[in-house]
Amino acid sequence: MTAQRLPDGIARTRARRIPAVALAAAGALLPVLLAVAAPLLAPADPSAGQLADRLLDPGSAGHLLGTDSQGRDLLSRLLWAARPSLTAGLLPVAVAGLAGALVGIAAGLGGRATEQALLRTLDVLYAFPGVLLAIAVATLLTPGLGSTVLALSVVLTPAVARVAFTETRRIRSAEFLEAARVSGATWPALVLRQVLPVVAPVVLVYATSLVGLAIVYAAGLSFLGLGVAPPAPEWGAMLDELRPALFTHPWLAAIPALVILAVSVLFNSLGETLRPRVGDGTEAAR
Amino acid sequence: MTGFLLRRLLLAVPTLLGVSAVVFATVALVPGDPVTAFLGPGAPAEARQALAERIGLDRPLPVRYLDWLGHTLTGDLGTSTSTQRPVTAQLLPALGQTLTLTAAAFALVLAGGVLLGTLGALRPRGWTGRLSGAASTLAVSAPQYSVALLLIAVFAVHWQLLPAGGTQDAFGAGGGALDQLRHLLLPATAAALVPLGLTARVHRAALSAVLAGELADGLRARGLSRLAVLRHCAHNASPALLTIGGLQLAYLLEGVVFVETLFARPGLGRLLYDALTARDLPLVQGGVLIVATAFVGINLLVDAAHAAIDPRVRS
Repeated sequence: MTAQRLPDGIARTRARRIPAVALAAAGALLPVLLAVAAPLLAPADPSAGQLADRLLDPGSAGHLLGTDSQGRDLLSRLLWAARPSLTAGLLPVAVAGLAGALVGIAAGLGGRATEQALLRTLDVLYAFPGVLLAIAVATLLTPGLGSTVLALSVVLTPAVARVAFTETRRIRSAEFLEAARVSGATWPALVLRQVLPVVAPVVLVYATSLVGLAIVYAAGLSFLGLGVAPPAPEWGAMLDELRPALFTHPWLAAIPALVILAVSVLFNSLGETLRPRVGDGTEAAR
Repeated sequence: MTGFLLRRLLLAVPTLLGVSAVVFATVALVPGDPVTAFLGPGAPAEARQALAERIGLDRPLPVRYLDWLGHTLTGDLGTSTSTQRPVTAQLLPALGQTLTLTAAAFALVLAGGVLLGTLGALRPRGWTGRLSGAASTLAVSAPQYSVALLLIAVFAVHWQLLPAGGTQDAFGAGGGALDQLRHLLLPATAAALVPLGLTARVHRAALSAVLAGELADGLRARGLSRLAVLRHCAHNASPALLTIGGLQLAYLLEGVVFVETLFARPGLGRLLYDALTARDLPLVQGGVLIVATAFVGINLLVDAAHAAIDPRVRS
């Protein structure tokens, strides 16, 4: 391909967007780094508490963010909680990205019967509001990280599959696919070498935009008692644990809520700066 | 138009059947054998057999599903295991509460979304445009439970301006329209933020496209005021608003699980939370079924409204 001269405006926006993407990526990486470095950064043992020190307000001596109802250091718990909380957000997106891409490509390339069967199944899953479907799946399983990951994978897969299907449909009768077929490419080769390189970037960007949502859903499930179970630290479970203290220590109880909000903003900003680079995915957004 | 609507209605039937099958499966597949749970592990085989026959567990799964579906279609959703009351009798009053909250939140979504979206479309590169973009990102990222807790901490506990929960005051002027509105304001805001941000984003994109098009050029060339140009262009951007608005109305139904629980409002979401805590499966089943059915219904209405204002959709 020869280099194309882009109209001035476009060239400028692209050039400006690269630092924005780098900045957003660094922002989204921050909570991940904090989670990895939790053993080094946490000032105290997240599960050892002094009952004499229970419900200390943020800013107390020795406890920067205060302590919970069992006197455990809140900052240490938040840092350790980042591990299950982020895993419960990132892993389902990875699973849904793979499964959704497979289903979407199969529906896009398959015959009319395959396409209709897959699309109608997706419609059924789509008919559930996300949180409710997650609740329905999670009630079937013993509460824990695994059940959260499985429930959210089921919730997110239809959305990814829609995006992959639309993209596959767009290129279904393209000349390069026809050429590959005529030259005798087998199905796996066709999918891996021709279709996937087109569909994968779109799915990847769309999946990135789902991470924030998945983290919010995961913490929500734990808040409802369907996710990671206490006493292990997890953001949603901490929200629930501190809820009774809301009326006596409002700022303390607000901290886990603020942390989840901040992490969600960081991941959504990354999704948003990436999105304009591969077409407009808003039509599939929920 | 009639043909379009009929086709859409027919398409909703398999979807709803699928929804009911998933809901049924969540209860039928729940781990643990109810017979063992009831009689204990050492019960004689005859007693187990008798109980299984009495509660219908000896029949194959598809038969049990059809039986359950028949009861559901006649409005019999079974008996709640935690309260021993019929599920329908508990769901209907809760549904009324939830619809009130949803309506209030939806008003906020539309007003805020249109305002924020218009600000963004008018001067995309100015500070108002950037601010509106940042505000929509913040709104879209804000989990209902976080917002609810923060609102209670600031407005109810710290400043003591608004009530922290319930639907009306027990004393004084409690129960009046104004009092109920006071109780609605915080929960409606908490439920509205995410849909508001999404609506603002879509309206901004749609309005920007119209404002950059020939219609806007023509109107400006005829010397119309800025406000008049905006009014005409907003009209042309309204189909996008309708579609996203309808989707958000459905989305509001899922946010109420958290909002009603945190604000102690006796709606569907709160009922569902209590049912989950008590592992009251018939109640969970009924609640999920009602919300999912409402979800499908709203999507159907949006399609119909869209077809009514935009003839291109019907073909």
